[in-house]
Amino acid sequence: MTNRPLTHPAHPPAALPPPCPPSPPGQPPLPRTPVLCLQGITKRFGAVEALLDVSVQVHEGEVVGLVGDNAAGKSTLAKVIAGALQPDTGLIELGGEPVQIGSPSSAHALGIATVFQDLALCENLDVTANLFLGRELKRSGLMHDGQMEAHTRSVLHDLRANIPSIHTPLNQLSAGQRQAVAIARTLIGRPRLVVLDEPTSSLSVAQTAEVLTHIERLRDLGLGVIFISHNLTDVRAVADRIEVLRHGQNNGTFGPDAAQSDLIGAITGATRFGGLGG
Amino acid sequence: MSRLTAGSQSSLREANKGLLVDTIKQFGGLTQVELADATGLSAATVSTLVKQLTESRLVEVRPTSRSGRRAQLVTLARATGLAAGVHVGHRSLRVLLSDFNREIVAEQSMPLPREHPMDTVLDRVALLIVDMLELVASSLDELAGIALGLPAPVDVSTGMLSVRGVLPGWDSEHIGEVMGKRLGRPVYVENDANLGALAQMTFGATHPYADSVYVRASYGTGAGVILGGRLHRGFGGTAGEIGHVQVDPYGHICRCGRRGCLDTVVGAEALLASLQTSHGPLTLRDVITRAVDGDPGCSRVLADAGRTIGRVVAGVCQAVNPQAVCVGGELADAGSVFLAPLAEAVQEHILPNRVAPMEVLASPLRGDEVAKGALVQVLDSTDLFAQGGDGQ
Repeated sequence: MTNRPLTHPAHPPAALPPPCPPSPPGQPPLPRTPVLCLQGITKRFGAVEALLDVSVQVHEGEVVGLVGDNAAGKSTLAKVIAGALQPDTGLIELGGEPVQIGSPSSAHALGIATVFQDLALCENLDVTANLFLGRELKRSGLMHDGQMEAHTRSVLHDLRANIPSIHTPLNQLSAGQRQAVAIARTLIGRPRLVVLDEPTSSLSVAQTAEVLTHIERLRDLGLGVIFISHNLTDVRAVADRIEVLRHGQNNGTFGPDAAQSDLIGAITGATRFGGLGG
Repeated sequence: MSRLTAGSQSSLREANKGLLVDTIKQFGGLTQVELADATGLSAATVSTLVKQLTESRLVEVRPTSRSGRRAQLVTLARATGLAAGVHVGHRSLRVLLSDFNREIVAEQSMPLPREHPMDTVLDRVALLIVDMLELVASSLDELAGIALGLPAPVDVSTGMLSVRGVLPGWDSEHIGEVMGKRLGRPVYVENDANLGALAQMTFGATHPYADSVYVRASYGTGAGVILGGRLHRGFGGTAGEIGHVQVDPYGHICRCGRRGCLDTVVGAEALLASLQTSHGPLTLRDVITRAVDGDPGCSRVLADAGRTIGRVVAGVCQAVNPQAVCVGGELADAGSVFLAPLAEAVQEHILPNRVAPMEVLASPLRGDEVAKGALVQVLDSTDLFAQGGDGQ
C-alpha cells in the first residue's frame, strides 16, 4: 500500500474531484441541488483505508439507505458527515456550497444532525433537558424552561412520537422511546440533513415500527435523511435510494425497487459496480 | 382566559374523565404518575378520577413497576377479550387491537418494503401483536382471533390466495395456517376491499344501506360487494376484483397474466411512471400530498385515475345495483381531486334511477377501514359464550 502524505483539509489536493452533478445520472434533471453531496471522500487510519473515494448524495425530502457489511465504512462515513472525523481528501458540498465540517458543533451549525448508535443521551435527565443538552435556550442568563418545553412538545408532536410526558427521566423510557427522543433531538435547531446510524438495531418490532414511521415523518418534513442499517427489510421499507458500501468503497446505487438478492450480492461483493477495480 | 362561569364542578370532572380516557387510549397503558404528566392534571385529581372510573368499570388498574418502583398501571377495561385486526398493504402494515365492545385499545403502523415476502411480514405481524398485547397488560390467551386483510383475492375456505401472481411471494402457502402456527390463535384471511366493505357497513358510510359497494383505490384497486347486508365474496373470493377488469385491450400485461387490466392503468406503478419525466422519482404518498397542495401534474394524474376507475365501478353498479358506493384507500385521501371525477364517471355510466338515485360517498374511516373491518370479522366470527370464562 502506498503511503501517500495526508492532505490537510486546509490545503485541498491539486486534483479536486469534479463538483457535484445536479442530479444522479440516469434520472431526469431535477430542479434542485442536493442537500449533501460527498465526492471522492477518502479516510485512512494509518495503513487502513476506511473510506476510499466514496461519493454519496442526498436530496431534500429523500431517504438514502446506506448499507454494507461490518467494517464497510458506514459509521466512518457517518462520523465524517457529523464532523467527528476529518476526511483526508474529498469534497463536501452542503446545498451546493463547498464546506468543511471541522467539528460536531460546526456540523450542527451547518444544519447536520446525527444520531449515533449509542444515542448519546443522559439517562438521569428528562426528555426536555436531553433535547436541549448543551444548547439550552437562555433568557437573561437563566434557562428559558417554558420555551424549551413548548418546543419539545411541538417537536414530539411533529414526529407523532408516543411519549406520555416530557418530564420523564430517560431511564424510565423504553428503548424505542429513547430512540424517538434521540431523533427528536435532531430536529432542534432546524436541520437540513439527519444522519441515523443503526437506529433500529436493538429494538423490538413495535419500536422498530415507530422509528421507521419517524423516518417517514422526517422525509415528509422535507429533510434529507441518511439511514444506516444492517437490516435490509427496514431500509427497503423507507429508503428512496440505497447506497451499498463494501470495503470502504461505493458498490452500487439501487432504486427502491431493488430486489433483496441484488442488494445482498452487492454487499457481499458477488456483484461489483462502477469499475471500482476492487 | 377568564374563568368559565357556565362550567360546574361536575361538568369539569366529566371533561377531565374524558381527557383521562382519551390519554389512556392513545398510549395503551400508563401509570398514574405518567397520566398526571400527560394530561396536566394534578396527581390527586388523577387518583380520584381513576378510582371513579374503576368503579364505573371504564378502566382497570394493575400492579406494575417503573424503574424498580411499584406503580399502578391504568388501562381501559376490556369487555371479555381482545381481537386483532391486521391490514397488510403494499407499502405499510397496520395493526389494531380492540375489545369486544369494538373499542380500540392499541394501534401500530409500520412501513413495509416493496414486494415484501410473506415470512418476514407475518413474523413482524406476530411480534407486533405480542408487543401490543404486552402494552395493554394482556396476553395471547385473551386474544380471540386475528384477521388479516391482504391486497389480493383470498379463498376464505382455505385461506390461500385464489389468483396467482397478484401478490408476489404470498402465493405458495396456506396463509391462515402459517399465521396460526406463529400465534396459536384462530386466524381469518380476507381480501382488503372485502374487509373495508364490512367496516363501512358496520360503522362507516354505507351503514344505512343493505346493498352497497366499497371501492378501495390504493397501490392497486379492488372492491367489496355487500348484498342484502352480507358480504358477497363469490365462489372463489374474486367478487369485486375490479383491478383486473380490462380497460385497455392494447395495454401492458398485468401481474395476473392478462392484458390491460385496470391496475396496469391506475396502479401505483402506472401513476408514478406517467410522472417520471416531469416530476422525477416520486412515491405514491408524494403524489397525493402534492395533489392536495395543488400541483397540476399530480392532480391531473389522480383525476384521470378517478375517471377510469369510475367507469369500471359503473359496470359493477350495473351488475349489483347498490344504493351507495363508498370510496376509500390512499388515492381517496387526495379528496375531491380524485373523488369528483370518479363520482362523475360513475353517475355518467349507470342507468339513472329516478326512484332511488345512487350515491357516491367518501370513506369517513380514513386509512383504517381495512384494519377495522378485520376487527369486525374476528368479533363476528367469535362466539362469546364459547370462549369460556369472562376473561377477567
